[in-house]
Amino acid sequence: MNAATPVAKRANRLDTASLNNRMVNEYWTSVFNAKKKGRLVCWYEGVAINPLMQAADVSWVHGEAWSALLAARNNEVKPQQAAENRGYLKELCSYARTHIGCGVMAQRREEQDSGTFADALAGGQLAERVPVPDFFISAYPYCSTGQQWDEMLFRLFGKKVPVFNISIPWVWGNKPDARYLSGAEFKEATQFIVRQLRECIKFIESRTGRRYDFDKLCEIMAYTKEAGRLRMEAMALCRAKPAPASFFDWTTSLAPVNFVAGGPAIVDYFRKVKEEIEVRIAAGVGTVPREKYRLFWDGIMNWNKIGWLANKFAGMDAAMVAGRYTHMGFWHEHECIDVKDPLEGMAINYLVCPINLSAPLMVEQIVRLCREYQIDGLVLHAARTCRAFSNPQFLIAEAVQKQLGLPVAMIEGDMVDESFYKDELINSRVEAMLEAADSRLRRGITAFA
Amino acid sequence: MSDLRGAHVAFDTFRQAAERPLESAKRWKDEHGMKVVGSFPMHFPGELAHAAGTLPVILQEADTPVTVGHGMIFPFYCGFTRSVVDQACKGEFDFLDAIMFGDHCVQVLGAADIVRSKLPNTRVHFYQLISAMSDPWSRARARATFADLKVGLEELIGRSIDDASIRSSIRLFNRNRTLLRELYDLRRSGRAFITAHQMQMVVQSSMVMDKATHTALLERLLTELRTEVCGPQRGTRVYLSGHFCQAPKPAVLALVEECGGIVVDDDLYHGQRYISTDVDEEGDPLDALAEWYLARNLKVPCPTRVDQNADWEGYLVAAMDRSKAEGMIVLMAKFCEPHMYYYPEIKEAFEARGIPHLLIETEHEMSTLEALRTRIETFLEIVRRQRTQPRRAIA
Repeated sequence: MNAATPVAKRANRLDTASLNNRMVNEYWTSVFNAKKKGRLVCWYEGVAINPLMQAADVSWVHGEAWSALLAARNNEVKPQQAAENRGYLKELCSYARTHIGCGVMAQRREEQDSGTFADALAGGQLAERVPVPDFFISAYPYCSTGQQWDEMLFRLFGKKVPVFNISIPWVWGNKPDARYLSGAEFKEATQFIVRQLRECIKFIESRTGRRYDFDKLCEIMAYTKEAGRLRMEAMALCRAKPAPASFFDWTTSLAPVNFVAGGPAIVDYFRKVKEEIEVRIAAGVGTVPREKYRLFWDGIMNWNKIGWLANKFAGMDAAMVAGRYTHMGFWHEHECIDVKDPLEGMAINYLVCPINLSAPLMVEQIVRLCREYQIDGLVLHAARTCRAFSNPQFLIAEAVQKQLGLPVAMIEGDMVDESFYKDELINSRVEAMLEAADSRLRRGITAFA
Repeated sequence: MSDLRGAHVAFDTFRQAAERPLESAKRWKDEHGMKVVGSFPMHFPGELAHAAGTLPVILQEADTPVTVGHGMIFPFYCGFTRSVVDQACKGEFDFLDAIMFGDHCVQVLGAADIVRSKLPNTRVHFYQLISAMSDPWSRARARATFADLKVGLEELIGRSIDDASIRSSIRLFNRNRTLLRELYDLRRSGRAFITAHQMQMVVQSSMVMDKATHTALLERLLTELRTEVCGPQRGTRVYLSGHFCQAPKPAVLALVEECGGIVVDDDLYHGQRYISTDVDEEGDPLDALAEWYLARNLKVPCPTRVDQNADWEGYLVAAMDRSKAEGMIVLMAKFCEPHMYYYPEIKEAFEARGIPHLLIETEHEMSTLEALRTRIETFLEIVRRQRTQPRRAIA
């Protein structure tokens, strides 16, 4: 047996996670009820533009979030098979494949009523019951897959459901003044997105036939900003040793800053999360029973493996304290949001999401986080069908090894296609990385500035 | 093909440049003492780099195995991306004075970052073209990107590029495309027998050679082909579709012909896609290039773009009719996401019309040629049998 095989230790997950689950269920329940209540439904991919829809009283289905939910609730196989039957190959983005599979199933659907979310969940029918779209909005940063995904849905629905594209430029940096959040190119890109958001609002108005409520958008963004602030503060508290919460906790807490409706509930949620963390710090309680290693997770999440992975690393005495996915996105630049005129702040957050920075800027942020969280090693999850996340991983690995001397483990998996997950390979690679981390710890190389 | 001397000389020159593009560019640099600008396929306006007095070279997938590059890129990327990363890691791009990217495929973006990190002393710039083609701001955005590219080129050469030079380059590139299209016409109509590999070499060499030299050779080749009397060709008329950034392997092309196919037309990037559209020679050249960028997607729709006004599958059905092709072979580079997204649309359209087509997934390291032979032979046999039967459309 491999020495790194998980032992009986289990991760000490945050209790407040149950509140998140409740919010997620309530949100999807409202989506399933949307048409009955006369609300239009928008399918969209990419960055969190849901506040735009919420202010117009439109319901929204975020493709990635929906696919992740299907995987987390073991409902992903049917839509994936439906997509494959239509000719979509397995190497395509599994989020897209799963979501498009729902679109394929919708073409065969005779009964347009979605029924309730609870019934669909109980019957394993989430994929075929999701409300069909009245329009699409594509707002994908970096990854070309995003726009094509929506284009294919547009074609799948017979070109009858209108689509609006928001093109988000990659933050590359041709000019010498290009820095994180600054430089002429960044400012120009921000304004380009703002102009498109304004056009998108007009598009939404044209679909609803109602005047857009910009004040409501400001109100929603005020809650979103506050939730973002509390989340970042709560995550920063996890610099404590032992770390009171893990990357896995933060992945399960993404919904309120990604697709759940902006309002008092999301603020209250992160306030409670932060309080639980403060209590844990006071009591010296960690996210793993024995914290020997502090790790950083680079890459997207295996949505059907969150609990499994949390326990696996707990079994290795490793606290996964931070990650690119959670710490470098989802309103993390909340300070940029002007709640009286939020579009520019929204655009900035979209531009600096976890995949849209070119490697030098991204590496700079990851190195900073590794220092702040006193990281002992990196796990780089190469999601087989998410090249957007996998692209810079060799450069990240090279940089943290050279700049910080950190050992790394590259593992293979996927977001929502479990067949790409290779457990034994993960065990052996992580074991090797932890041995190297051990050697550093024995030499007293632990602290960063 | 012809036993005419001029044609042989031309084909031989095209072959050398297509097979060894970097050597060819290095030689040009040594001979002319001027700068060479590498670019990525598929939408880079070589006209601008040419007007800057540089040699624009579209970087190609190498025919060597990926070795060093494995340390920088995962194996689940398309062969073109892996090969380019490998070439950068091996120092093969070191002689380039600049690399300028423009395309947005997520795998190419990954390669751009790696190439920049491996070439710290080279100007590696990125000029992202808008990929949504039918939005109200698409044209203005494309123009702005080309304007930025022009500034980048001016910084590289240390002087400004005037409009007259750009128009002159546009005229030369248009002439080259026109001649290449004539070559396609000759093949499609059966007035010249040109193998798929020969055709590919002619187009591919145009991507890497000095355009004036290439055009002069092409003029010579066409002069001889126009007067040559070509006997009737026997075989099954095949249309090749797919393969974007990378050229199909010559062995795969040869296999189609060995199995009894005659390639009569294609929409390959190393084919019709590259030469489909000319740039307006009058007016503001940046406006003209922006117009060209949008127009070529309507001429030969590209799945890497989103365009509500274009239908690739409809284009292919019409192109099959136009070229009197009997079957279509789809060449899909393994892991090519844009192609994987669009393929079901083509599959459904062709099945609905009862048009035979065969999907072949290709890899950088093609190791299954014999298995492929069986599939192609079987496909062509099915196509031949269909000749005697009416097409059976699937409802």
